[in-house]
Amino acid sequence: MVLIDELLSKERFEGLSPAEFFYRNREIAGFSNPVRALYQTIRELVENSLDATELYGILPEIKVTVDVISPEKNIVKVRVEDNGVGIPSSEVPNVFGRVFYGSKYVIRQSRGLFGLGVKMAVLYAQMTTGSPVRVVTATPRSRRIHEFELMIDITKNRPRILKHNLIDNSKRWHGTIVELTLEGNWSGARRKVVEYIKRTALIAPYATITLKSPDVELHFKRLAYKVPEPPEIGRPHPRGVDIELLKSLIAKYSSGREDPPTLVDFLVENFEGVGRITAESFLKWAGYDPEMPIGSLTIEALDDLARKMREYDGWRRPRAHSLSPLGSELLSKGVQGILRPEFVASITRKPSSYGGHPFVVEVALAWGGEVPVSDHPLLLRFANKIPLLYDEGADVSRKVVDKIDWNTYKVKFPAPLAVIVHICSTKIPFKGVGKEAIADVPEVEREIEGAIRECARKLRRYLTQKEKELSLKLKYVTISKYVDEVARALSIITGDRQEVYRRRLEEMIRSYILMKEVRRGVRKSKR
Amino acid sequence: MSGRVSDEEVIRRLEEFGKSIAMQVLKGMPPRMEIPVRTLSNTIWDEKRRILVLGPAKAKREFLDMKESRKFMQTLLMLSLILMARREGDFPTIRDLYYMGKHTIRYRDVHGRERTEETWNDQQESNSVIQDIEVATGLLREEMGIMHDAKGKIVGRIVIKSKGYEIDCSKLGSGAYAIPPNPDRLEIVRVEADYVLCIEKDAIFERLNEEEFWKRENCILITGKGQPDRATRRMVRRLWEEFGLPIYVLTDADPYGWYIYSVYRSGSISLSYESEKLACPGVRFIGLTTSDIRDYKIPKNFIIAATERDLKRAAEMLRYPWFKSEAWQRELKLFLRQKEKVEIEALSGHGFRFLSDVYIPEKIEKKKWIE
Repeated sequence: MVLIDELLSKERFEGLSPAEFFYRNREIAGFSNPVRALYQTIRELVENSLDATELYGILPEIKVTVDVISPEKNIVKVRVEDNGVGIPSSEVPNVFGRVFYGSKYVIRQSRGLFGLGVKMAVLYAQMTTGSPVRVVTATPRSRRIHEFELMIDITKNRPRILKHNLIDNSKRWHGTIVELTLEGNWSGARRKVVEYIKRTALIAPYATITLKSPDVELHFKRLAYKVPEPPEIGRPHPRGVDIELLKSLIAKYSSGREDPPTLVDFLVENFEGVGRITAESFLKWAGYDPEMPIGSLTIEALDDLARKMREYDGWRRPRAHSLSPLGSELLSKGVQGILRPEFVASITRKPSSYGGHPFVVEVALAWGGEVPVSDHPLLLRFANKIPLLYDEGADVSRKVVDKIDWNTYKVKFPAPLAVIVHICSTKIPFKGVGKEAIADVPEVEREIEGAIRECARKLRRYLTQKEKELSLKLKYVTISKYVDEVARALSIITGDRQEVYRRRLEEMIRSYILMKEVRRGVRKSKR
Repeated sequence: MSGRVSDEEVIRRLEEFGKSIAMQVLKGMPPRMEIPVRTLSNTIWDEKRRILVLGPAKAKREFLDMKESRKFMQTLLMLSLILMARREGDFPTIRDLYYMGKHTIRYRDVHGRERTEETWNDQQESNSVIQDIEVATGLLREEMGIMHDAKGKIVGRIVIKSKGYEIDCSKLGSGAYAIPPNPDRLEIVRVEADYVLCIEKDAIFERLNEEEFWKRENCILITGKGQPDRATRRMVRRLWEEFGLPIYVLTDADPYGWYIYSVYRSGSISLSYESEKLACPGVRFIGLTTSDIRDYKIPKNFIIAATERDLKRAAEMLRYPWFKSEAWQRELKLFLRQKEKVEIEALSGHGFRFLSDVYIPEKIEKKKWIE
């Protein structure tokens, strides 16, 4: 986003409205062509729906509908409905019709970072088909359902309301329906959309998600009835600051105060894990007077302060209360339900941090069953519960997965193995602006590798046990198949009944092979 | 008659072998059978009797051992087939037994998929268990009434009785009597010959028969058409053992021919267990030898250069204990030095009758054979 900020401030001087700027730079937001734009639109709407439900403890129920209006002209209608908290009617025009309105800029993990995506989708639909966005929404216990049709006035960056209806909400429905008609290529985007929905169902196993389209219908029923604890809103960690953040925090902190606040108070009250003692020892190390008023700091001084805050290693580690990992149990359920493997191992690692940003890595390994057999492990990546479908080759997880010698864990390729990596952070270390690949930050890489190896060890235990059972079974089958022949021969030789020998031989095979099994079991339990 | 085992005895010994296994099963013991090992490592040169015999090594074949259960099943299956034939008085060939025992086993594999397996896939597999049963019971397959393609022929001063018919082998015209698979079932009525000549090549045998060489020399001619089969060897052994006839062997002068001589005399490595009944330690080799090339002035155009394989084979034979005699060591070393071989036909360089008129009589009269 730094890149966008820079571009934006430059463009602003040339008199472009943010809406106009975004339309001109639509590739950055993922709207480069009718295939990508359709995929991106569905993604933005589904992610908003998930945020509107699970962050408020509601079990998500999301319905996605795609209608191809004109295959020749590539006109598609997308409709996404959720059962979330809805949007207060006074907010609707700005949420959908004004770029940079409001801010999700709070320190907690959520899917969308700026709430920009949906506006981009509205803008794109409007520019390609001239149609408005239709929004139907109601907040919990609201007596009315609001229906809007609106467009964005691009040059003024203002919403233009075309229609606003009130409908009686006798059934006390709550949630949001968003409908967009845009230029999109369904047959081109279908594969990615299906994959996206599938993976979303995997990482949100407490959600029911359906997709209706001209040729594909998906229905993922929820596999769990527990929504993970929503993350708390946290303060920024001092190691993660930059000058812009400092400026905005100072502005917010100073406004409406009679006495100019001091530097030490500012640090203590605005940052995560900073007490008076910590703040004072940092300021002493950095060479600042704790009692100086923050208002007196020059731009140069702020820049220096931010740099020193990032460098100082006396800070406490950031806490993970602002993160919301899925938890290994839910992750296993999701993997189990979507990939249908024979075996799953999953792990949620302890929180860690890089550059002042807390993060948690979760990994699951799925083996066998319906996991497709392949020469390499199948890799499913997620960041803050968002499936990452592009740029796998550039992702740190790919690097880790390829680095591991899977023979150590008894996996011999081609094998039915899938590796699921989920990283949660208040700031995902994306590589480049595409936000589809995680950069190789050493701390993150170490955690991913540790998590994969931990799961791989569980897989090895399973495969070893399976191998043992299989070799016993193989022995049983190999010998048993000859019983009839041997019994018949012995019956011819001796004149006794064949049945006598058949029974004796079968008993013998069972008892001898089972005995070995039992002996092995006893030895194990003694240990 | 020596060597003849009665049908009752054969049945008794086969049943004994089978019943010992049945007993183990009834007692709830994992069944196993002991089979003497039939490999070079378990082949011993019996210095005193001058024959190759099977060593003492035995392998245990256990049904509950995954690697052996198939062989175990095959052995019992074959045993039951042979027993049935013996009880019925049938004489199946080894190929008959292969077909009689070949059927499909249906089973489910470890993944629950339906699979099939043949009791044996080729005749080599069924032949191999016949040999196992031979060594385990001490009965030759001929004694068990099992037939095979016999290729040996005999002609000359001998009268044989088979199934009540008398056959005078001196009254067969241009033909010869085909030695049946089990010569022990033949009765040798009369032998009026002075010696037996075993000839490697059928063509030479036919030529000598055509010339009525046996009448002139008062002998018996036998050919095994190359490597002699068991019936031919058994026939030779009986003539030596029961009638005390001297046995002479005539082959090409090359390692292949010399090994044929040693099979008649000492037995073969692969079938050393039958030596007791087939080997004939009195056999003498009259030629051709490498020395014959010089001694009989074989014309140059009949001399063939030895191949790498010939030389390798000769070097191996040099080390065999049953080729340790002075004469053989000298011949083999000469061959390795000269690297030359010749065929029996090379003697025709001195005229077509040289072999029968000069070479054979001279070798025998002047005792120019080697052992």
